[in-house]
Amino acid sequence: MSVDIAVETPTGSAPPTEELVAPPTTTRGIRRPTSAQIFGIASLAAISILPVPFGDFGYFIGQYAIIYAILGLSVVVVTGYAGLISLMPYSFAGIGAMATGVAMASWGWPFWLAIPFAAVATVPFALVVGVTSVRLKGLYLAIATLTISNALGETFFTWEAITGGDSGHFVDRPVVGPVDFGGDLAFYLLCLGAVFVLLFMVEGLRTSRIGRAMLAVRDNELEAQALGINVAKTKLVAFVLSGMIAGLGGAFLAQLLISVTPNAFQSPFAEASSLLLVTLVAIGGMDRAIGAFVGAIALVVQQQIFNGFEFFFAFVGIYAALTLIAFLLFRPGGLVQVGKILGHLTRTRPVLGISIILIILVVNVGGAWLILSLS
Amino acid sequence: MSLLRTRDVSIHFGGIAALDEVDIEVERGEIVGLLGPNGAGKTTLFNVLSGFLKPAWGRILFQDDEISHLLPYERVAAGMGRTFQHVRLFRNLTVYENLLVAQHRHLSSGSFAAMLRLPGWRRDERDARDRVEEILDVVNLRPWADAHPTELSYGTTRFLELASVLSLQPKILLLDEPASGIQQKEVEALGPLLKQIRDERACSILLIEHDMSLLLNTSERIYALDFGKVIAEGTPNDVVSNDLVLESYLGRTRRATA
Repeated sequence: MSVDIAVETPTGSAPPTEELVAPPTTTRGIRRPTSAQIFGIASLAAISILPVPFGDFGYFIGQYAIIYAILGLSVVVVTGYAGLISLMPYSFAGIGAMATGVAMASWGWPFWLAIPFAAVATVPFALVVGVTSVRLKGLYLAIATLTISNALGETFFTWEAITGGDSGHFVDRPVVGPVDFGGDLAFYLLCLGAVFVLLFMVEGLRTSRIGRAMLAVRDNELEAQALGINVAKTKLVAFVLSGMIAGLGGAFLAQLLISVTPNAFQSPFAEASSLLLVTLVAIGGMDRAIGAFVGAIALVVQQQIFNGFEFFFAFVGIYAALTLIAFLLFRPGGLVQVGKILGHLTRTRPVLGISIILIILVVNVGGAWLILSLS
Repeated sequence: MSLLRTRDVSIHFGGIAALDEVDIEVERGEIVGLLGPNGAGKTTLFNVLSGFLKPAWGRILFQDDEISHLLPYERVAAGMGRTFQHVRLFRNLTVYENLLVAQHRHLSSGSFAAMLRLPGWRRDERDARDRVEEILDVVNLRPWADAHPTELSYGTTRFLELASVLSLQPKILLLDEPASGIQQKEVEALGPLLKQIRDERACSILLIEHDMSLLLNTSERIYALDFGKVIAEGTPNDVVSNDLVLESYLGRTRRATA
């Protein structure tokens, strides 16, 4: 088809009030890694070695943060991509943890088989939740999922054959040849490997037929339908994938805690943890996989560091709530968006940008170090 | 053997007949206009045709198949494409991503193929991007590919919407006031563009339009609607000289000048 008609030139068709001055001209195709991506991977590597100077305590917090990042990825899929506010990601993690407990403690399965089993075990639950709530939106969906989370706590998580009663299941960490994952460093590296694989997968989902359908449904359901997208099926897929990721995270959670007890997934812990997960993804950045990682590091590390201090704990609660509100109001893209802005600043005004980044790093790492050495 | 036809399609909103036994037909490769004052039922008819509203009774036949029971996305798969009176786009996606979403129905890879970067996903993405590159040039949107729809002028978003619906490769396009809110220069370009789309893509067009010169110069046949009823049908000249149409649409003006 020729191009002699249709729209006039872009400069002419844009009213002068609009911001875009020079539309970027990039060549597309399956993209090569950009400098931003390389920088992102370098940052991931830098964050990954953060626990090293803190020893075993550092590794424990690191494992904890990374497992929350995995659970956060499940929120990215269902809430960030598909726009469905689900307040039960931690219940799916619980199902995964229980499945791991049963498989390893009762059936004697190795951990490597328990991981996929934990993911698959969530599927029937995700389907039920998805089918019952596929017509609900926004606040109503949030309430429905909260209720289901509560109901699961009263039924599924009180079923002794599955939960092993109040004492729960004991799941030993795996030993592969000379590597004993009972050691904190080894298990930390295992979690790190898992989260990187999942980050890669969830980011890949975003640039695919189903992933884009989710983004479309989130933005405008009516237009998505008009473009031939099966909205109900897309939402169901989002629920199932999200449940599977959370179940997988649950398998690692079971390994972290070693003893899996049901009351961790009952009211009020389930609701509190689910809310924490949604919060950390909102702070990190909802619609990118990396947002879950960044948010989990930011929130869980703080939470764990300040855990022992009554005064600081209250302070952190208020601090977290305020940052959440600030982010939702001013930076809906979360820390990822802040990172992009800093990256842009560093490119245009390197001295200022790098100083700001250094100040943020020194304040955060130094503050954490200070409080730890005071304790 | 027409492409699209309705039989006795009726729908009521609170006792008011929004559509009253509407019979229309669109032949293959035909551009058909819908004329009528506000509230005549034109957009309601579009919503019924595209599956967003269920008619109280009546039948819709597309390529001689009954499609009344199909959901909107199934009608897209059957070969229908529609635009909305008020532009609907994905505001948080770029122009390029908007057009990629429109490729949905031509792709087949699943979520696991994408997560594991399997060859099926790779092939899908390459095909989708190739077709988006092609459509970007058809509607001259290339300079805006990485912009968000909110950064475009209203007229440009109209063309983005048209590009999205063209990406579906529909057998029939339902266009709801494509010229509303765009500059006169763009309106003048729209008529030839619609004819070109019809010629090169072998695609019928059903057009709702309040810009009379566009509607009369582009359509080969026109149905006039009023109060949910078809009150006249024929060539543009026949319809605009029909007494009933003049009365409903331009009535007061005519009496004033007579």
